[in-house]
Amino acid sequence: MKQVEKLLNELTQQKLERQTRRHFLMDCVSKMGGLALAPLMFGCDTGTAKKSGGLDLSQRDLNPLAPLPPPYGGKAKSIIYLHMAGAPSQLELFDYKPELAKYHNQPCPESLLEGRKFAFIRGVPNLLGPQANFAQHGESGAWVSDFLPHFSKVVDEVAFLKAVHTDQFNHGPAQLFMQTGSPRLGRPSLGSWVTYGLGTENQNLPGFVVLTSGGKTPDAGKSVWGSGFLPSVYQGVQCRSKGDPVLYLQDPDGMSRDMKKNLISAINTVNKEEFNNYGDPEILARINQYEMAYRMQIEVPEVMNINDEPEYIHDLYGTKPGTESFANNCLLARKLVEKGVRFVQLYDWGWDTHGTDHDGSIDMGLRNKCREIDRPMSALLLDLKQRGLLEDTLVVWGGEFGRTPMQENREGKTQSFLGRDHHGDAFTMWMAGGGIKKGASYGLTDDFGFSGIGEQVSVHDIHATILHLMGFDHEQFTYEFQGRPFRLTDVEGELIRKILA
Amino acid sequence: MIDFILPLFGRFHPILVHLPIGILAFGIILVFLSKKGSNQHLDAIRLAFLLGGIAAVLSSVSGFLQYQYEGFAWDTVQFHFILGWSTVLASFWLFYEVNKESVFPKHLKWKSTGLFGLMLLTGHLGGNITHGEEYLIEVLPPEVLELMGVALQAEQGLVIPEQGWEQLAYYDQVVQPIINQNCKSCHNPQNLKGELDLTSYEALLKGGEGGSVLVAGNAGESSLYARLILPKDDEDHMPPEEKRQPQKEAIELIKAWIELGGTTNSKLGESNISAETLEPFFHRVEKPFYPEEIVEAASAETLDQLKFEGFFAEHVSEESNWLLISCINFQDFNNQDWTKLTPIKNQIVYLDLTGTEISDPILDSISSLPNLTVLKLNQTGISGSTLAALNSNQHLKNLYLNKTAISIDQLNLLNNHPSLEKVFAFETPLSEAEIPKDLSFYLENDLYQLPPLPTDTIEY
Repeated sequence: MKQVEKLLNELTQQKLERQTRRHFLMDCVSKMGGLALAPLMFGCDTGTAKKSGGLDLSQRDLNPLAPLPPPYGGKAKSIIYLHMAGAPSQLELFDYKPELAKYHNQPCPESLLEGRKFAFIRGVPNLLGPQANFAQHGESGAWVSDFLPHFSKVVDEVAFLKAVHTDQFNHGPAQLFMQTGSPRLGRPSLGSWVTYGLGTENQNLPGFVVLTSGGKTPDAGKSVWGSGFLPSVYQGVQCRSKGDPVLYLQDPDGMSRDMKKNLISAINTVNKEEFNNYGDPEILARINQYEMAYRMQIEVPEVMNINDEPEYIHDLYGTKPGTESFANNCLLARKLVEKGVRFVQLYDWGWDTHGTDHDGSIDMGLRNKCREIDRPMSALLLDLKQRGLLEDTLVVWGGEFGRTPMQENREGKTQSFLGRDHHGDAFTMWMAGGGIKKGASYGLTDDFGFSGIGEQVSVHDIHATILHLMGFDHEQFTYEFQGRPFRLTDVEGELIRKILA
Repeated sequence: MIDFILPLFGRFHPILVHLPIGILAFGIILVFLSKKGSNQHLDAIRLAFLLGGIAAVLSSVSGFLQYQYEGFAWDTVQFHFILGWSTVLASFWLFYEVNKESVFPKHLKWKSTGLFGLMLLTGHLGGNITHGEEYLIEVLPPEVLELMGVALQAEQGLVIPEQGWEQLAYYDQVVQPIINQNCKSCHNPQNLKGELDLTSYEALLKGGEGGSVLVAGNAGESSLYARLILPKDDEDHMPPEEKRQPQKEAIELIKAWIELGGTTNSKLGESNISAETLEPFFHRVEKPFYPEEIVEAASAETLDQLKFEGFFAEHVSEESNWLLISCINFQDFNNQDWTKLTPIKNQIVYLDLTGTEISDPILDSISSLPNLTVLKLNQTGISGSTLAALNSNQHLKNLYLNKTAISIDQLNLLNNHPSLEKVFAFETPLSEAEIPKDLSFYLENDLYQLPPLPTDTIEY
């Protein structure tokens, strides 16, 4: 019965969401006449009593970000997810393949190409040896290339997943898959699931903050931090690291805080009345957004301001206040987590190294991108560590897929720069912090780094593991929608126990 | 040709048993409905005991046939058998009593009660044979079971030590425990389904009605393995579809054992089994981060009150009574506000007072939290003069003193604290102080640097 009720509610909600002015005008044609007729026939009673829309107003509706306990004790309280949009080459960063170097510039064996489809590679491409120099680092002996000289000093904090695989080879769907568990639109993002399940600690800040760098937002658009079928309030809040962090958050000149408060409470009274009449949960989301915006006015400018950080912190991260950069975003991520934000999502754009131009070349453009993230992400780990935040903060790094061991031959031509095509069979990600085994490495790839040959993990496995660390059983964490319970991991996903502390 | 008649009749036992129960119960009800001196129901009672008796005979005979043909052991069924026939005799005796005279016999109510008890007990024993000894009490709440003095003995599954698993006797310490957990309940000397007993290696070798279940070296031919991997809806699949299924790793282990020769003297390490396959069976006692003591839950009103005051107050997990308390939205918390926390002082395991207006005297109050495990005093006026008070927090593991005026002399007072594991003292006088090497806990006081490298400035 409960499920039927839920479905009916969903229907009402969908109807309300689609109700537009046009519908109203259309209804006018038929119903205005009826309206005039009604009193003639029934007196004043039109038979439509006020209803609350059939929705129960619970505490959770009124304050959807109120913290909730996780079903099981979680090792991590917050997540910082560093997503390298465009997909970095694992073969130049972490997956050392000396054998591939020996076959550099030789035609790729047919056996690797049989029955395969690539985004751009056509015919038989040549193999492309690693363009970086590798060495083992730290006590764990992790392989890291000279593209990431700073990161190589913090590898002992990190657990590598070296044989991650995805079934998508285009950016948009692959990013959606990585962030929402489905390559198609409409599912809630990881950050939305987590804030939906746990709420957030600091009631003056959003629970799910998104920061972007690299000059562009991810190809998949804002759906990668969307809330899908979860209530809209759980979607990511994008903050700018340059200029006002949140647009129009500042009061205009001459508007005092008290005046603002009166204004908002008046608007909210009207909105509550509106909700009682129509029962559209979007109205609730709006009430909450107003209230949160009011509270955020104080806290956000403070937490988003990195000017007051001491000099040595700026030196550590390589931050320059007033610019939009991955470094600034890393520092902001630390500040947000320190202030009790549940999920901070960073996107850095510019990793799509096809070799079509200088910036997209494996030996030059990629190096420049690596330099941009190397110091900040290493600094982030160290800074979290020295503050004790790494105890209960999970840091995840990765792209949406990996890259081919072959030189890209777009349109069958030889390219002027070294580049690699999209490839989802085996790529590297890493995790660090709350509940992760330090210095672990999981996953094996073949001699060319083309496919995983052991300890492979899927995107669903990664989601299952992240949810586990936050205190959820991914199989039980569901949301009822369209008559069936939905999971982030759909019907798959296994915990990656080997990287758990 | 008519060989099937007897076993078929035996299989009607589960249906037939309900007849005497219903009919006799009806007769007994009529006995109790009869008023003193009234013979109104006498005919009906007489008929009920006669028909009940006949039905009981049919039940008992079919029960005996089932025992004969379905592989039950005498030990299991003996009391059920004896009581069943007693019920038969008792009902006929009562029929005789009622039939003898045309008036109500003496003490009929007592005698009927006896018959009822007999019937109940027989039925219960029968139920135990079909559904298992614990079928009825399984669903009782654990407290009630404890009161009854019953401990449900679940068959413990396979447990393998992480170190030295290679030396385990493959059959005795690996295969047999898997069989015990997954097969034994139907294949044991008392309950010989398919005439197969799997409680020992010798019995296993004997096989069942379909012959041997083990073909050494050939897992595919051994039904001990082959039936496990049949599709679940195949009628030969084992364990039966509705029963608990073994893990895929357990099946893997059985396969490897058969392929190794299926003997009792091989070692687990001799097979090609990897540690990864054994992963689910490794015994790990994970010590919980928060204390193992059990405390009463704080009331919902107390929590609401705390939230109203501005605290972040939440349970560690849905099942836990431990509380996390943070002042992240209550930054003007000061020493006087402490009393607000006293109602939950036993439940607090995590206390975050970062950025609040507290000062040293509060440490004495904090020392009265018996289960405190994580304490965050970052960015406060704590100077540490009374830091030694924390020595009485017997569960304190992580202490955060970032951006306080704490000094090494004061920190030294916590040396040899019974439980303290990590202290974070970032941006404190400790960052520059000389730290003694023999601290009993890990101290994080570094101001980390990433020294500039020449490559930092190279543009490619």
